[in-house]
Amino acid sequence: MIDSGKQPEIKRVEITVNGKTVQARTDKPLIHACLQAESEVPHYCYHPGLSPVGSCRICQVEVQQGKMPARVMVACRTPVAAGMVVDTESKGAHDSRKECLEFLLKNHPLDCPICDKAGECTLQDYSFAEGQGEGRSVEPRRKLEKRKDLGDVIMLDQERCILCSRCVRFMEEVPETPQLCVAGRGSHSIIETWNNQPLSGNYQGNLADVCPVGALTLKSFRFKARVWNLTKTASSCGECSRGCSTTVEVLRAGEIVRIRPRHDEEVNKWWMCDTGRFALDHFSEVDRLVGACMPSATRGWDQFPVEDGLQVAADMLMAAEKPLIVASPWLTVEEGTELLTLGRQLNGRVAFVSPAQNELADDLLHTGDPAPNRRGLTDLGFEALSPEEILSAASEHSSILCIGERVASLLGEDGFNSLPSATRVLLFDCALPAAQEVGNSPIDLAIGLATSAERAGHWVNIDGIRRPILQARPAPTGVWNTVRLLQNLLGLLATREIQS
Amino acid sequence: MVVVQRRELTFWERMYLPEIVRGLVITFKKMFEPRVTRQYPEQAMPTTAVTRGQPRLTVKDDGNIACVSCGLCEAACPAYAITIDGKETDRFIEREPERFDIDMLRCILCGFCEEACPKEAIFMSNELELANTTREGLVYDMEQLKRSTSTLQPRIDYVRKINDRW
Ligand code: SF4
Ligand code: SF4
Ligand code: SF4
Ligand code: FES
Repeated sequence: MIDSGKQPEIKRVEITVNGKTVQARTDKPLIHACLQAESEVPHYCYHPGLSPVGSCRICQVEVQQGKMPARVMVACRTPVAAGMVVDTESKGAHDSRKECLEFLLKNHPLDCPICDKAGECTLQDYSFAEGQGEGRSVEPRRKLEKRKDLGDVIMLDQERCILCSRCVRFMEEVPETPQLCVAGRGSHSIIETWNNQPLSGNYQGNLADVCPVGALTLKSFRFKARVWNLTKTASSCGECSRGCSTTVEVLRAGEIVRIRPRHDEEVNKWWMCDTGRFALDHFSEVDRLVGACMPSATRGWDQFPVEDGLQVAADMLMAAEKPLIVASPWLTVEEGTELLTLGRQLNGRVAFVSPAQNELADDLLHTGDPAPNRRGLTDLGFEALSPEEILSAASEHSSILCIGERVASLLGEDGFNSLPSATRVLLFDCALPAAQEVGNSPIDLAIGLATSAERAGHWVNIDGIRRPILQARPAPTGVWNTVRLLQNLLGLLATREIQS
Repeated sequence: MVVVQRRELTFWERMYLPEIVRGLVITFKKMFEPRVTRQYPEQAMPTTAVTRGQPRLTVKDDGNIACVSCGLCEAACPAYAITIDGKETDRFIEREPERFDIDMLRCILCGFCEEACPKEAIFMSNELELANTTREGLVYDMEQLKRSTSTLQPRIDYVRKINDRW
């Protein structure tokens, strides 16, 4: 689905939407043209990434065609035809939407105060815009299961469901693993999994995004935050070389509580995998390496500020004959460029760790290559070395500089700890590898770095598409931006060269 | 430079003594009128349901807090005084606050939170006093804010009456 090799030819016809002339695609329903013309048409069951079914009936617009009188019809199931004149704001359209909303809300619980969707729920938005303030029905509302566990990722509240079937179609059409169904008929319909099996697969998280209401919610985000308290920053996912475009959502300038896919036609469309969505631990603030540190025989880890750390690093690197510079594939293009300059200045060998393919690859998004900027660094001229190759090459160098997010863990805990003691090891990483004791740790100098949620730059994905990562929240005090760090280091080296 | 033109004193005023006598007459008269000065804090101000004191949280008769941590008061608060984190319960009402802080130094006692609350969970009580020796001590947490429904009842009734007018 994602790799769009051959594009069929797109035919267009001319239609009028609210007085605007639009070239509408004939392979898309009318609603697509209306939205393209920037006319708001409420919709629940229609999702641009899924096949249209026309089940919610909210997307009513008035269409006039030829000599026929104007009629109200659902925009998501009407094919476009040349010469259509569409009015999305006519009285007829608004009245039909209002009636439709009344039915949708007939059995809807008054849950907004505790609903995780509140604030980004289109049922709320359109009820506010079009609906009436009070319900007229006197019958009790339908009672259904409110905490239905659908596996590790998703929680279903059947009362909130408006039966748009987006979730059913998502499972069938995108990961192509049908697991959900509409069970029962009429007002007894509910969403269920086949045989009440828990959901499986690496794309379940998207269900919470496609559900227009708060029926399918993420367990990990359950009651964590009100969405209007989140600061959203556009970024890219770093869990594989696809580099899905994402939105990183931060609660009160602190914790990252949610990562969601951002629509990007060329990369990930509307989706992302659960591996990327739930990779929040990598951004945690606990156990971070802040400032710089060095092992001291008497005092354990000696802590000092980055400025001093860089002085030590400059001395160490100047003394080295031909240092081995090992980058992490999480470095951005900008950081890679600085690092190459450093490599040239030190006459060193510059490479990046190229981790082995993992078993998460699928034919939708995940490439199975956990190196988000592999392409960017390769294009810059970095050599790709596997962790084993790096470890064996290390003994040939008197100094090794490992730099970038997760670089130590990419080399493997044992691998990193087995770096030869004769080699000087400088580690610039977000955290120290586990259980580093002075005495048996190979590290001679460590400096803390910012994670990919705390700095900005670009990654180039597997298809050569360049996408930004942006700073979603501030780095801990005492942690420098990697580009600034490298530029300062270069400056120090230049000064030293002049002095000697 | 501004030259202030003072009024010329009359002869009797310049005599001084008659004015003293006039003043003393007023003083003696006041001694026999009812006193208006309140001996605060020994004599507290009487309050009514209309008194808009500090916000407090209602605890329902079953012992559970009425708040569902919807965050509407937090959003309505113009002084950003409220901070709420939610957590899941095992009751029918699925959510309750895990943390509910009101920074009383920020609170401007506007009553927007009371108005925003869909759950009758926060009310402007008749409590008016606020003193402490540290700033942190004036950030009230959930335990300090909880009040029983009966304590807040007059205000609850009053607010319901006002809302009915809409
Ligand atoms: S799904 Fe939307 S309308 Fe329904 S309770 Fe949740 S926020 Fe409210
Ligand atoms: S659970 Fe959500 S996505 Fe699925 S049918 Fe119900 S409302 Fe639609
Ligand atoms: S508005 Fe009411 S229910 Fe909502 S968080 Fe505030 S006190 Fe709690
Ligand atoms: S969006 Fe058109 S019928 Fe649901």
